[in-house]
Amino acid sequence: MIKDITIGQYFPGDSFIHKLDARAKLIVVFLALVEIFLCKNFLSLALVVLFAIVSVAISKISFRVVFKGMKMIYFIIVLTSILQIFYNDEGTVLLDWWKIQITTGGIFTAIFMAIRIICLILVSSLLTYTTSPTTLTDGISRLLSPLNKIKVPVDTLAMMMTIALRFIPTLIEEIDKIMNAQKARGADLDSGNLVQRAKALIPIFIPLFVNSFRRAYELAFAMECRCYNGNNKRTRMKQMKLSWRDAVAFVIIAVMLAGIILLNHFFGAVI
Amino acid sequence: MSILEIKNLSYKYGVGTPFEIDALDNISFSVEKGEMVAIIGHTGSGKSTLIQHFNALLKASEGQVLLEGKDINESRESAHKARFRVGLCFQYPEYQLFESTVYKDIAFGPANMGLDKAEIDRRVRKAAEFVGLKESMLDKSPFDLSGGEKRRVAIAGVMAMEPEVLIMDEPAAGLDPRGRKVILDLIKNYREKTGSTVIIVSHSMEDVASVADRIIVLNKGRVAFNDSVEEVFSHEKELREMGLNIPQITKIFSELRSFGFNLSGNVYTVDDAAEEILRYLHKGGN
Repeated sequence: MIKDITIGQYFPGDSFIHKLDARAKLIVVFLALVEIFLCKNFLSLALVVLFAIVSVAISKISFRVVFKGMKMIYFIIVLTSILQIFYNDEGTVLLDWWKIQITTGGIFTAIFMAIRIICLILVSSLLTYTTSPTTLTDGISRLLSPLNKIKVPVDTLAMMMTIALRFIPTLIEEIDKIMNAQKARGADLDSGNLVQRAKALIPIFIPLFVNSFRRAYELAFAMECRCYNGNNKRTRMKQMKLSWRDAVAFVIIAVMLAGIILLNHFFGAVI
Repeated sequence: MSILEIKNLSYKYGVGTPFEIDALDNISFSVEKGEMVAIIGHTGSGKSTLIQHFNALLKASEGQVLLEGKDINESRESAHKARFRVGLCFQYPEYQLFESTVYKDIAFGPANMGLDKAEIDRRVRKAAEFVGLKESMLDKSPFDLSGGEKRRVAIAGVMAMEPEVLIMDEPAAGLDPRGRKVILDLIKNYREKTGSTVIIVSHSMEDVASVADRIIVLNKGRVAFNDSVEEVFSHEKELREMGLNIPQITKIFSELRSFGFNLSGNVYTVDDAAEEILRYLHKGGN
């Protein structure tokens, strides 16, 4: 159930992708996402699909886990694809009924969109699957550190993000516990109409909020006791170092960019 | 007929993922009506997982839970009804309070049972009395109470359902010695007055030895012992290997016995010990 959501979860490992520098990985993923949007025909899209599949394979994260994590998004994929069918009236007409017209163009766009969204999710979830939350926020804060010059408190923001990410599993566990406790007192959480269901959530959310506030106070006190101050220039236990792996990743992403541009140019655009 | 019977129960966590674990492995035992049973095990032995099967919060991978001979997972309805017949009070129950007043919070369970107002009122007041909450407290917000009081409110919330079987998961966890004694006495008192079946889950032998009729020791998801307190404590060495300890005073008495003093084997508290020594001295020793 609630524990099945794997998006945003981290799976430790020591693959090539795990070992990439967090900053490099962030930039590479960002570029890959841009490239997915640059694809104009099925050949360039195939290149991106190949990239995504090979990346997942290299990361040694099982495809089952990855696709199970996408369960929640299937609905969005299907919905977007169906909408695309009706928004395109190019190509031969396959079905013409009342105001609805389905064309080959529409079908192609729908398939194209579905593949594109799946690729986007694959690549971006691979980032969180292979990078621990703390390393990730570290990477983000390092990338954003130039903003310090215009008085953006980057380190404080990074700390906030780290804390937020750190507490997601704790809260999930807590929700589970509270749900069980209220169910044990006969709370009915999965039947009734919308209003009844919303009402049934009150016994879950009030203790959850109360406990979260308590935890927040405790954590804040603990941090203050250790003289935490967001403005101090902090050094890091694990220094980030770029290595040959990051160079390889950048080369691959650059080659892919060139490939997409060439394929788009020589084989025409579907979209 | 036993009120609760567990038949070949197995449960796996995370089936189909790389993290699959056998949490419970072929567990069978039964609990008689009116009995006070303690389930004991080291952290991670599967105690909490096991008790969540007793009121159908978890469904076993294999095996059955029979409540008065009927499988509680027979239908959705029977599972829902089992929640009221088997009252489960979780560890640190004070973190589950949510209502605006103590009264309403205790009434949550009975109200879910669909009882009428007068009956709910009777049950709330009775449960509050059992756990030693004053009338004046019923109108207070549960969030204004002390930790120990909150815990008693939460326990009253389960008792107010008047379950045939009451299960308490680590009822004394995190309390000071006096708080522990108050809670354990309260449970003992509840059982004596209502005649209900009580199952206490704990990792501490000291807590349960004096109140339980029988001890079931869990180790790595299996039943290691299922016997009288005295019998279980005689396996001190095996218990220690499972990360469990028999009460200090019991240990001292078993040492004394090995020196040839003719003392009783079922001494679990200092009070028991004092009595036993007096008895021994009066008899003149031998």
